[in-house]
Amino acid sequence: MALLEVRKLVKAFDGKAVLDGVDLDLEEGQVKVIMGPSGCGKSTLLRCINRLTEPTSGQVIFRGEDVTRPDTDVRALRQRIGFVFQNFALYRHLSALDNIKLGLRKLRAMSEQEATSRAEHELRRMMMQDHGAKYPAQLSGGQKQRVAIARALAMDPAVLFFDEPTSALDPHMSREVVALINQLYLDNVTMLCVTHDVFLARHISDRVLFLDHGCVRAEGDADHLLEDHEDPHIRAFFGRETQGQ
Amino acid sequence: MTSWIAFLQEVLLYGPQILQGLGNTLLLAVIITFNGLVGGILVFYLTLSPRSVVRRLTDGYISFFIGTPLIVLLFLMYYGLPQWGLPLSPLTVAVLGFTLNVAAYNARYLRTAYNGLDQQELEAARAQGFSGLEVFRYITLPQTLRLSVPALTNQAILNLKDSSVAFLIQYTEFFAEVQELATRTFQYFKAYLLAGLVYLLLVSIIVLAARRLEKAILRPMH
Amino acid sequence: MNFWQILAQLATGAGYTILVTVACIATGLVTGLLVALLTRLRLRALDRLLATYTYVFRGVPVLVLLFLVYFGLPGLGLNVPPLVAMMLSLGLIAGAYLAEVFRGAFASVDPDEIMAAEAMGMSRRQILLAIELPQMLRFAVPGMLNEFTTVLKYSPFAYTVGLPEIMKQAMALAATTLRGLEIYLAIGVLYFGIYKLMLFLVRAIERRYAVPGFIRL
Repeated sequence: MALLEVRKLVKAFDGKAVLDGVDLDLEEGQVKVIMGPSGCGKSTLLRCINRLTEPTSGQVIFRGEDVTRPDTDVRALRQRIGFVFQNFALYRHLSALDNIKLGLRKLRAMSEQEATSRAEHELRRMMMQDHGAKYPAQLSGGQKQRVAIARALAMDPAVLFFDEPTSALDPHMSREVVALINQLYLDNVTMLCVTHDVFLARHISDRVLFLDHGCVRAEGDADHLLEDHEDPHIRAFFGRETQGQ
Repeated sequence: MTSWIAFLQEVLLYGPQILQGLGNTLLLAVIITFNGLVGGILVFYLTLSPRSVVRRLTDGYISFFIGTPLIVLLFLMYYGLPQWGLPLSPLTVAVLGFTLNVAAYNARYLRTAYNGLDQQELEAARAQGFSGLEVFRYITLPQTLRLSVPALTNQAILNLKDSSVAFLIQYTEFFAEVQELATRTFQYFKAYLLAGLVYLLLVSIIVLAARRLEKAILRPMH
Repeated sequence: MNFWQILAQLATGAGYTILVTVACIATGLVTGLLVALLTRLRLRALDRLLATYTYVFRGVPVLVLLFLVYFGLPGLGLNVPPLVAMMLSLGLIAGAYLAEVFRGAFASVDPDEIMAAEAMGMSRRQILLAIELPQMLRFAVPGMLNEFTTVLKYSPFAYTVGLPEIMKQAMALAATTLRGLEIYLAIGVLYFGIYKLMLFLVRAIERRYAVPGFIRL
């Protein structure tokens, strides 16, 4: 059984379908990348799965349970999905350590001591142990991202979502994200990553899903999709993207 | 209900005096708003002085008048100055006191707006050969005034409301007349409620006018 | 009456002035926070009521409201002690202004951080208390300071309802010594001193909770 199954997912804003019947499967331990031009609905898809945005119709089945039903405990669902935002969205009034502790204290009801040791563990895992006392304004983009990942991982999520993890970073830092995500893959973290960064897509995953106009246009292994796809539309997109690098 | 009708009859009977008081309130509010603006611009100009002594004195002036109650200044002049053989009329005292006070506030708003200006524009003007006063007149002042419109109109509203303080130094403005009405009819609650409603109405008129002014002035800048 | 007696009388007055100011600031903070929080939660039924409160209390002069409460309410059978009258007039007016300050400061909180908290599975109440409120209060410091200053400056109105604060003491002293000029000048300086003290205290609290990344507006 797949960890996550998305079936015929539709999201319409003012009658205009941003997602128009998306199907997606994610297995335990898998890293899947969703690509596509801006405005294709990539980010909306992630937000529909954890119901930050309410889907118009369709199903999301999380560990065998339909989580689009009205009686779903949305907060419990969200606690099982780690979300790393494009601009990291660290809480600016809290230090790096307190950013990680907040969820542990408020949602897991951990003791102060327990939460601190868990948060320190996650910071070490991200090689950020020396920066725990710093505030977001004192961290670089790459460091903020590591704290954001540590904050998500501390909650022991079943899956980690990345929304455009390289778009707010300089090219050098983008390369480091690849190494970071691969390290998590080796730790058996299931991940779903939305990006338009071909380099990132190629190096973190074998399975790439191409989304366009709210539909999955193609799904396949990275080399096939990124190199010589028969669909001229997809070739055009990656041709442009690669040139743009 | 009948007591309200009886009260309103009293108000009508007392109408001419109340209207005269209202006129005095508006007179005071208009004078201090105008004076406060002119004074504020002057004080703001002094805060930009190249001489540090002038700047420090001006900052001290602003800080002192923002930090002390206006009513103390009014009492000082109205009850204190006759001691030196300088009796002043309530209106004179009110105009002087409010002007000094409001100018300090307006200068601070203008100064805050000035701090947000693009300094390069001012440098460009200086590079073009404009004198210091010319830069102030043609560039600095128009820009800061426009940015300060919301704060300055807010101050105008405060001026109208605060003018009621002048009744404490025997200036027969609107609230003083209402006070008279209240003591004559013994209808304190109704009289003060009426006063509150009148101020609310006047404030609403300024708010509406200010909104139109802001739209007209701010549009070309954004 | 010697110099020391005058000084003692003014000191008593200063105590009452501080009492009135603190009581009115506390009233203002409680109502302002309550109104801003309820507005933030967008409770439809209350929206109109809260907007009316802020509009009305910002549109009426302090003195008028004070007289309405202290001299007007007894006519309806409600006797209000002087300090409470100050809290119900100056305090509630400060609350209306503070509600606006807080509303603006809430708007400065980054919506992405709120979304991140939602994505984490936090409840609306948890987000409000753990994320929005602590950030909002930091953004609101300059606006709060302005309003606290305003409260101090209106506190002399308390003499009109018989509270023995600085202004009242000064009037009594001026009447007995016939030296109004010096007395009023002295209390002007006294008020300025209290203002500076307040400034110092607020800045100290601000520094105590300072976090890099919050710009003083």
